[in-house]
Order: sequence, then C-alpha cells, then structure tokens
Amino acid sequence: MLSEVDGVLVAAHELKGPLSLIRQLAFSLEYTDSKEERKKIEEQMIDVSSRALKQVNDLTRISRIENGLFDIEPVAVRSVCDEVTAELRDLFRANHKNLRIDYRNRSRLVVGNRDLLHSVVYNFCINALHYSDEETASFLTIYDRHENVRLEVRDFGPALPMDVWRALKQGWLEQPTSIAMRPGSSGLGLYIASKFSKAMNAPVGAVRHRDGTSFYIELPASKQVSLFQ
Amino acid sequence: MIYIIDDDRLMSECLERYLRPEEVKIFGNAIDAISNIDEDNPKLIFLDVLLDGPDAFTFLNEIVSYENTAKIPVVIVTSLNLDEKSMQAYGVKKVLKKETLTPEEVKKCLALI
Repeated sequence: MLSEVDGVLVAAHELKGPLSLIRQLAFSLEYTDSKEERKKIEEQMIDVSSRALKQVNDLTRISRIENGLFDIEPVAVRSVCDEVTAELRDLFRANHKNLRIDYRNRSRLVVGNRDLLHSVVYNFCINALHYSDEETASFLTIYDRHENVRLEVRDFGPALPMDVWRALKQGWLEQPTSIAMRPGSSGLGLYIASKFSKAMNAPVGAVRHRDGTSFYIELPASKQVSLFQ
Repeated sequence: MIYIIDDDRLMSECLERYLRPEEVKIFGNAIDAISNIDEDNPKLIFLDVLLDGPDAFTFLNEIVSYENTAKIPVVIVTSLNLDEKSMQAYGVKKVLKKETLTPEEVKKCLALI
C-alpha cells in the first residue's frame, strides 16, 4: 500500500502530463483559423481532462476500498466493455490508434463490482493507448475460461519490461513506482487496476509478446446467467 | 524540414501548429526518425526524452556519431529536470520544459537553424 506521501507524489507525477498537454492545446487554439481544427482541439481538451479526472477519482476510490465500501454483484460484462470503448474511441483516434472489441464469451454475467471493473478495463485500455505504436489497433477481448470470464487488452508496441511482468506474475501490484520503466508513466493505471482487482479477488496478469503486451483480469462467471439463457 | 520526436502525438501536433508554415515531420519513436534522417536531412529536431523503445540519449548518441547528422541542432522538450549545460555534450542547443513551454519559446528555436 502506498504511503500518503508516495500517493501524493505519484498522483502529482501522473497529472503533470495531462495538465501540460491541456495547456498546450489551449495555446494551440490561437494557432489555427480552421473551424474544424478548433473543434478537434476542443474535443481533445475534453478527452484529456476527462482521463485525468477519472484517474483522480480512482485514486480517491482506493481509500474507500480499504473500508470495503463496495458491493459484489452480477455484472453484465459486455455492457461495461461497450461503455469503456465508447469513452475511449475518440482519444485513440486522436492519437492515430484504434481500439477494437472482440466478444467470444458465452457467459454474460460475472461476479464483481461494476464500477471497479469499469476502472480496471479503462486503465488497461489507457495503458494500451500509451504503449501501442501509431497506426495499430489494440484489442479488448472477452472470453470464457473454465468457470471464469477473462477480459484481456492486447497492445502492439514495445514489449513489457521483465521486472513489471515478474511483479504482475507474483500477484497484484503493491507499488506504482516499481513499474516506472515504461516511459511517461509511473504505472499508476496498472496499480489502480491491480488494487481494484484485488478488492474483487480477481486475478490480474500480463502476457509478454515480442510485439507488445496483453493485460488481463479474470472474474468468476455468475451462475445467474442460466436464468437468462 | 523540422523533426518532432515525441510519443505523445497530441503534444507533437501542438508544436507543429506553433511552427507553421515550416515543414514538419512527426515521429512517435526514435527508430522511425533514425530510419528517415539521412533522406530528409532535417534542419532542426525537437526531441522528447522518455520515448517508447530507444530513448533520447540513444538517439543523440546515434546522430552525433555520423558526420552528416552531427551538426543538426537539437532542442529537448521534456518534463524531466535536465540541466542544459550537461546536455550540450550531446549536441543539445536548448532544453524546454513541457510544463512551462510557450509557443513563443518554440518559435524562437527557429533561430537555431
């Protein structure tokens, strides 16, 4: 668990990027006469600030997790993934990247917490946005695995450093600073995903590929699904 | 032509707007920039430090080691605290901080060409 000082430092580091970018986007507005480009810049400002706000919200939610203030219930997994991809599609496009979704699961409900699962998938996707190469698509795939449902986000970019992979292999991440090796990030998104997964008792992991990385979370399929099939 | 090398596409696009009407090429990583540098012969390079794959120092070592690229002025644009003097050994002419960067500072760098 992060100390208060570590938490403040990590949050400050993570917010520096989006705040600097929003400032530059605001300056940029004066450097274009095109209405279309101005609209695009305004949308980018909204996307970048929304992403930063979401991260701040997640950080404050971590303290509530410690107090156990959340419910575990059946969650419609496809609807969570649809929401996340809808939220992030424009941001991926603005960065000349793409996010695709592939449903292969028969189980429609998982046992978890809707808000926490949303944040885990969101943070995996943001991580993919950060570390995928331009003109590539990242894939969010949902599939059944024995009695569980796995949600996996695959990016195509630099391979995950060995130490991060080892840390994830040993279970949930306890420190964001230990995964600072991927540039431009303290790994806060993965740390948040890890904390939220742990709260749902759902394992997370990473698979290294030569041309990128897959991050996954696995949740038990809800037995209630049989009532709907 | 001017190169902008930064893994944050939106930040690169901001710099590109400040530099108009100069011809600019944006790269998301150092490898793609190195593969094009001999052909393009850029007259100025804006370079982020923390990149996916090889970082700015690898890139700088590479360009200073070849005669045709050694003299290209490089401006570092970063959120790290880097001392401009210590970066001069790598042929860096200026270090700009992303947090305090203004369009005027970027445009002033054109004088380095």
